[in-house]
Amino acid sequence: MKLVLSTSNIMSGGPSVIRHPTVEKSNTELTSSLRANFTAHQRSPSSENSIPNGTPTRLNPKPFRSWTSQHESTLYIPAIDFSSSGLSEERSQYDITVKLFYLPNIPSSRRCLQNREAIDLVLRELHVSSIDLLIVSFPSISFDADDEDSDSDDVVPRAANEASSESKSGVEDIDTMIQTWRTLEKLHDEGIIDRLGVAEFGTQRLAKFLPQTHVRPSVDQINVRDCCVVPKPLILYAKQEGIELLTHNDCTNVLPRGTLRELLGPGEKGAGILACPDGLSPQDGLQGDVEPQWVVKYTAVIKDRGVVESKGYFAVAELREGLC
Amino acid sequence: MGLLAIGTPLDWPEAKKVASHVRSWGIEQLLAIWRRAKGKERDALLWGDEVEYLVVCYDDEDRVVRLSLRQADILAALASDEKLLHQGGGVPDVQRGTLREGETAPVFHPEFGRFMLEATPGKPWGIGFKDLLDVEPNMKWRRAIAKDHMASTEYPITLTTFPRLGTKDCTTPQYPVSGEKLRSQFVPDEIANPHIRFPTLAANIRSRRGRKVEINVPVFKDENTPWPFKDPTVNYDLHHWPEDDDVRNGAAKQNHVYMDAMAFGMGSCCLQITFQAKNIAEGRKMYDQLSPLGPILLALTAATPIYKGFLVDTDVRWNQISRAVDDRTPEELGEKPLQHDRWRLPKSRYASNSTYISQDPRLRKEYLDPNLVIDEDIKKRLLDGGMDDLLATHFAHLFIRDPIVVFAEDLKELDLDKADHFENLQSTNWQHMRFKPPPIGSDIGWRVEFRPMEIQITDYENAAFSVFIVLITRAILSFDLNFYIPITRVSENMEIAHIRDAVSSQKFYFRKDPFPSRSIKSTSTSGLSSPVASRPPTPLGPVEDEYELMTINEVINGQTDSEGGFPGLIPLVENYLNSMNVDVETRCELARYLDLIRKRADGRLWTAAKWIRNFVHNHPGYKKDSAVDESITYDLVKAAETITRNEGRDGLGEEMLGKRV
Repeated sequence: MKLVLSTSNIMSGGPSVIRHPTVEKSNTELTSSLRANFTAHQRSPSSENSIPNGTPTRLNPKPFRSWTSQHESTLYIPAIDFSSSGLSEERSQYDITVKLFYLPNIPSSRRCLQNREAIDLVLRELHVSSIDLLIVSFPSISFDADDEDSDSDDVVPRAANEASSESKSGVEDIDTMIQTWRTLEKLHDEGIIDRLGVAEFGTQRLAKFLPQTHVRPSVDQINVRDCCVVPKPLILYAKQEGIELLTHNDCTNVLPRGTLRELLGPGEKGAGILACPDGLSPQDGLQGDVEPQWVVKYTAVIKDRGVVESKGYFAVAELREGLC
Repeated sequence: MGLLAIGTPLDWPEAKKVASHVRSWGIEQLLAIWRRAKGKERDALLWGDEVEYLVVCYDDEDRVVRLSLRQADILAALASDEKLLHQGGGVPDVQRGTLREGETAPVFHPEFGRFMLEATPGKPWGIGFKDLLDVEPNMKWRRAIAKDHMASTEYPITLTTFPRLGTKDCTTPQYPVSGEKLRSQFVPDEIANPHIRFPTLAANIRSRRGRKVEINVPVFKDENTPWPFKDPTVNYDLHHWPEDDDVRNGAAKQNHVYMDAMAFGMGSCCLQITFQAKNIAEGRKMYDQLSPLGPILLALTAATPIYKGFLVDTDVRWNQISRAVDDRTPEELGEKPLQHDRWRLPKSRYASNSTYISQDPRLRKEYLDPNLVIDEDIKKRLLDGGMDDLLATHFAHLFIRDPIVVFAEDLKELDLDKADHFENLQSTNWQHMRFKPPPIGSDIGWRVEFRPMEIQITDYENAAFSVFIVLITRAILSFDLNFYIPITRVSENMEIAHIRDAVSSQKFYFRKDPFPSRSIKSTSTSGLSSPVASRPPTPLGPVEDEYELMTINEVINGQTDSEGGFPGLIPLVENYLNSMNVDVETRCELARYLDLIRKRADGRLWTAAKWIRNFVHNHPGYKKDSAVDESITYDLVKAAETITRNEGRDGLGEEMLGKRV
């Protein structure tokens, strides 16, 4: 079964949005806003049987079937009513940025389909037919300013043995990335995505990547923690190649399997969608093992006012039954 | 401060007779503007900063620094500089170049003090992050241009007040005190801009009040300060004017530094930011939400520890300006029973805000001032004209004042295509926020002005605070933040901000939870333009439970000890930035600004007030008697100039600015 998790618009979401600077876990935004959205739906009295003046009781959250919805083999957590979302002004007023996180250990062959799915959810959520910028985040890749500096003179692509050393660290090789890129170029050609971008690419990776692209990335996103130590060569190279270096504050591994399991599980902080892993408690939770597939983040900014009107996440996971 | 048309100003008794007339015409003009502009929509964020300078003149031989009264000459030089005009800059009141597509040179304005100068960007800033980076170089450009049009001995300094304003021989050229307009025993009439509006303003405030304005600032008591302290500069034996009796009637208070003229307040420099809102609703929301931040930013920018040659026991300029333009009569002040005047007025026309104006469902009645003074007739006229209750109340409150400067020529005919009578009242209500309707005949939208901040010594700091406020407004609108506390608590905070080193030693009332409550159906509208409440109709707790006393550090950097405490303005801004596409270079610059403010709030860096006190204390000429003499002042102003130039890179001022690379 496929699980589609969503946060709805987190800008009006309150405390879950804001992390304390001391808490340096940057995937907190996703997990806490998912949790907040689940909780809000679990506790909200449905319109038919609302209790007058009643605070929904904390002790008896509603069974998940009442606040999620299933279409064929897809479970939406919570149920999404796309008719109630959308943007308040004309499309031209917005700058819509989407970031797609491919997750570790998921075959890259699935990405063509994942791209479509992810973009489709965002378009439906925002009631638009295209997005301005799609940034893709490849799994396990992280920007290393020191590495850049040490061999800063050498921006020419080197021998392929570098790629093999990378694959050990879980980073895929350029060829795989390019295969993925082809599917994104197609979405660009169809007019669904205006600009494409990558995240955490250093000079060398960019230099290897660029010549093989038809649609060049116009953005390279670097983690904000490193933004003041971005090596000069990368700044110069990016400028020369017409690539904007932007900042972000996302975790590369944005949704680890354990986090997802806890989020959906039966425990105190869970949404009560999965049954106990030991299968002992005979509740109506789903049985099986969850595997996060991808996460997409979208942000709609009113351009000439600098106001973030809508921001949220979708995350998709596979639930494989009987593996428990 | 723009100049109104030249005309024949009425002296006070005459102006008083036409006060109701001006008010009622002002209200008709307001209604006309409101009707025309209430539906104005989708204006971009444009914003501007105003930097004010003191023009000082050094006498290096005698180691004396004085205020230069050459404002008019400097402005004339600026207005006739071909190159500046060609670049789009100049002096709008006289002559300026046309706006340019690209970079436009800054423009300069006269101010109340004849030793002051104001400079603004040549055209407004947008929200493009590149614009935010242009602010600081533009401020430096402004200062460089200003300096270029001054004598070699002069310099535009950004101290809030001149430390020895009101002492003997503090201006060049020198003029005798005790002039007809100010009747001050400390400063000459020539201290004010000679444009007829300014001396009339000062004279009519004095006349309306029935005596001179009275500014008593508690003196800072040091080891050798004579105690009780009797301001040794006060002359009790003057007999030129009836107002010379003031001091014999107890105007000068013991243990205080006494001042007696508008120039002691309106001669202060501040840093003001004006924002254009997308529509009237957003403007009203920004007005309300920025209001509780006013006292916090006042304390954080504190820079005013010296008056008339003495260290004082307060750190900011605010109340001194308030008293310097306080035109209330003894009846209005509550010193005499009400006989001739209409009401008791708890505040000066220069004071903290007294109203909230947003039609925000989160604005609870309990936040409003229960003792707000309003003119009921004016409110009725505005309501009859179609204005809603909150906004009508706001203007009916501003319009409890009399117009001070009235030109005879303007009373002949009511012109609804002008705003002069409305502006007459509006622009002489100096509250810490100002809600500004669109000017007639322009494309400018509804605006909100943030007025409490003190000017900082360097352009780096002034840019940092300007940009910080801009980013806060974007965070407020993006997260739909709620900073409401009872407006009377904001006024209390304003008083607290005056206390010496309030930034580190005091606590301020602040709202604990700034977030809207989550409602699962609000996705579609995001609460920005929709009148739909984002708050579900759950019963509200007592207002007193919504806020608590917080340190400035907690307000700025967050309550990190407790789970779910106030998140802090800087974390909110950073979270906003994380949601935006910001390039590496910009983010890095913004991080510098935020870091300065973070460290000012947590005490690692000093306010200018603290730095100035420290400078005086460590000066070899200081006798620990609170007196700041000519030579200390000379060295202090020189040091301020050096800091302006070097921004701490040579180590001077490092305690304020941090280590700079």
